[in-house]
Amino acid sequence: MELLANLALGFTTALSPTNLLLAFVGCLVGTLVGVLPGVGPIATIAMLMPLTLKVDPTGALIMLAGIYYGAQYGGSTTAILVNMPGEVTAVVTAIDGHEMAKQGRAGTALGVAALGSFFAGTVATLVIAAIGAPLTRLALLFGPAEYFGLMVFGLGLAVVLARGSVLKAVIMVVLGLLLATVGTDLETGQDRLTLGIAELSDGVDFAVLAMGVFGIAEILRNLENPESRNVAIAQIGRLLPSREELRRCFAPVLRATGIGSVLGILPGNGAVLGPFASYALEKKLAKDPSRFGRGAIEGVAGPESANNAGAQTSFIPLLTLGIPPNAVMALMVGAMTIHGLIPGPQVMTKHPSLFWGMIASMWIGNLLLLIINLPLIGLWVRLLKVPYRLMFTTILLFCAIGIYSINNNPYDVYFTAFFGLAGYVFIKLGLEPAPMLLGFVLGKLMEEKLRQALALSEGSFMTFVERPVAATLLALAAAVMLVAVLPAVSRSRQKAFQE
Amino acid sequence: MRVKLLRQDFLGGLAIIAVAAAAYWLARHLPAGAAGGMGPGTLPKGLAMLLGVLGAVLLVNSFRASEGAPRWSIRGPLFVLGALVVFGLAVRPLGLAVAGPLAIAAAAFSSSEVRWRETLLFGLAMTAFCVGLFKFALGLPIPLAPWLLGY
Amino acid sequence: MKRILSLFVLSLLASAAVAQPYPSRPVTIIVPFAAGGPTDIIARISGEYFSKALGQQFVVENVAGAGGTTGITRGAQSKPDGYTLMMGHMGTHGAAPALYANLKYDPAKDFTPIGLVAGTPILIVARKDFPAANLKEFIAKVKDPAAKVKQAHAGVGSVSYTTCTLLTSQLGAKSIVAAYRGTGPALNDLVGGQVDYMCDQIVNLVEQVRGGSIRAYAIATPERSPALPDVPTTKEAGLPQYQVSAWNALFAPKGLPNDVHQKLAETLSKALDDAATRKRLLDLGSVIPDQAGRSPQALQKLVESEVARWNPILKAAQ
Repeated sequence: MELLANLALGFTTALSPTNLLLAFVGCLVGTLVGVLPGVGPIATIAMLMPLTLKVDPTGALIMLAGIYYGAQYGGSTTAILVNMPGEVTAVVTAIDGHEMAKQGRAGTALGVAALGSFFAGTVATLVIAAIGAPLTRLALLFGPAEYFGLMVFGLGLAVVLARGSVLKAVIMVVLGLLLATVGTDLETGQDRLTLGIAELSDGVDFAVLAMGVFGIAEILRNLENPESRNVAIAQIGRLLPSREELRRCFAPVLRATGIGSVLGILPGNGAVLGPFASYALEKKLAKDPSRFGRGAIEGVAGPESANNAGAQTSFIPLLTLGIPPNAVMALMVGAMTIHGLIPGPQVMTKHPSLFWGMIASMWIGNLLLLIINLPLIGLWVRLLKVPYRLMFTTILLFCAIGIYSINNNPYDVYFTAFFGLAGYVFIKLGLEPAPMLLGFVLGKLMEEKLRQALALSEGSFMTFVERPVAATLLALAAAVMLVAVLPAVSRSRQKAFQE
Repeated sequence: MRVKLLRQDFLGGLAIIAVAAAAYWLARHLPAGAAGGMGPGTLPKGLAMLLGVLGAVLLVNSFRASEGAPRWSIRGPLFVLGALVVFGLAVRPLGLAVAGPLAIAAAAFSSSEVRWRETLLFGLAMTAFCVGLFKFALGLPIPLAPWLLGY
Repeated sequence: MKRILSLFVLSLLASAAVAQPYPSRPVTIIVPFAAGGPTDIIARISGEYFSKALGQQFVVENVAGAGGTTGITRGAQSKPDGYTLMMGHMGTHGAAPALYANLKYDPAKDFTPIGLVAGTPILIVARKDFPAANLKEFIAKVKDPAAKVKQAHAGVGSVSYTTCTLLTSQLGAKSIVAAYRGTGPALNDLVGGQVDYMCDQIVNLVEQVRGGSIRAYAIATPERSPALPDVPTTKEAGLPQYQVSAWNALFAPKGLPNDVHQKLAETLSKALDDAATRKRLLDLGSVIPDQAGRSPQALQKLVESEVARWNPILKAAQ
């Protein structure tokens, strides 16, 4: 059983005292920094990367990976506690997670996120170990046209995300798509919608948008309504999910792990869709979908598991091909290169102890995260008891520093303020930000893939029909959108008849 | 009658149409539909038009059913957002050591619940903590006090 | 009274003479790209040497955006006291004037050149099943409109864009071009066979070539690279006029005091002779300039010639 031999090699490497310590330090530091509002995984890794320069390559990678998971989980923590998702994947967690926090169930939310992530991480690690390499070859079949299909499919999911009216959700998605076009055009280099501001020529930064529209707007909302704020925090309540709640989450976590693992392998940031897909699926499958958006525990368990599964499997293209699927992995590539270990297809054969050691330490990292974070939950929940009039200034300060540190550019802070205003206006007008964020993320990818596909087919739209995977995905996308829109349409027609 | 007009969805529809129009206007020079099917302007203009239509639908629907007019506050947004702007303006010339307390002080104006002495003390303590954390522990290249220390 | 005055003046003069030696506090090196990329890595490797040699931390600050011009603009506008330096490269100080109409700096006039640090050679690579056995056959296919050869690049303004534009303009050929958001996605589709060829820095491609997931036809430098000794140079393979490398260099804003300038230039040259630094740079596949190429004057000449070279080529392509 070659797999067992490889895993044994991996665990020996990963369990060496140095590497274990590095993993622990990485997870801890990553979590603590990731928890700071405004500081997402990319900023965290970029900040902490120099720390890893003093260690050997394997150790450095293990530490970096620990920082990555820690930052991811820290980002989920801020999403739940203060509605500030530091990363795309935490946006979905914020929807129900923060609602749960407002109902005094922050501990439960954090707990289920930690447990779900651990389960997903374990499964994903096994997937990587067993079928990682062959899976990459499959993933390579995904060209721009197929990607476009997947993104359109994702758009259909966006509509399901909304709590309220479908029309408003669609409006927000389209707004997000429009925002995604701001910046320099990929093919011609022309500035689009940049208002002549040089700092916008690379487009709107996701963290800036998310911080503003979710986090800052939340602060503004809380300042206005002191009564509706964290009333139930007075009693901390249970810190961990009850058995009943765990039972309810089991199936969602399972489904989410599958979804997240598959999407994470797609080179090119397919992992982004994982949490959204899981949320949409759970909402559709739930007996009472109206719970979603008001603190449904499945709405945290599913996306968090998908999130973590995707984060793990997104290492696959990096380790087997040497091609980073997203910005975080690109940083890892940089870190590896600085250590003289340039990632490529031969890493698995030339540096087996590194490859398998990384995989083994992924699981260990997940375990460490659980061990570190479960006790921390009590700390975070107690933090919520600090009077808001003191807290919000601190959150604001951290947010400002975090946003500034992304690119050392004060304009990012100004833009965050602008989006904070926009978020406030959205709240007042009953428009939800989550579909907009998904539209934004998908929009960038979608347009890029669409234009690449068209460029490669010399302008022929037939390419989407001729390529089977793309055609299937587009058909699925159409189906999803119909399913999402039809009930709303028939409901409003019913209402019309009733009136 | 006039009060009923300014309901939530009416304002919403109006706002969306405004955004759509602004976007289309900003994208007016971009070529749409160049050789190969798509140009830089295709998506911005197309989306702007779609957004405008949807906004109009929202507006029209608001006459049938909509939540009431929202109440807006000025103080909160003004000072919270102002605090961010102050931070952005101050951080490079004056450094974190000054921008931090300034931002916290600005934010403090936003809520009538704020008690000045404790906020300022807390703000200074928090800035010190941030300096220790971001500047020294993490080594972030954020200016500390260029007017005093040069970095 | 007079004695006090003269003592006072003397002490002032003395304190001016005993001014703080450079560097007396941490120095920032602005890298105008995201962390982890080739320029960033080169900056960090050389920054480490500087920190050790000069006794003060040389910290990298990443200010990415607009093909590197955002970071360079900020550097150009900072105080010329030696505490803010920049890592410019072929894109920011060569191609930028042709690509950006509103460029806020002049590469030849607004900087004090310190010296070339390292150049990353450009490789012409193709997907592994591309039907051409060597560069000559590859060129024939690219020139043949019926073959519909597809090129990938990492976005307008990127190294892969400028260097491949140079290639196609020298060949007088037009390829089907697909723009990607960064090297990762472009390389991904090359490995997957969705596109046919690319031109990019060796650092990004070396492991892929070694692993066989893509094939390299030529390297655009006068000599073969020790990192990929089997890849012929463009001269050997039949396209001698294609010589290009993504050079990286250290700059300071204009008006740097002479003594600081001297010190930095000398330390840089020593860094490039230091065994450990050399090894790390060479492992990346980069080319270290020889003594003649290291001086500030050589860098200034390079900047001027590069701006002149890229201007007509890139303007024509737009």
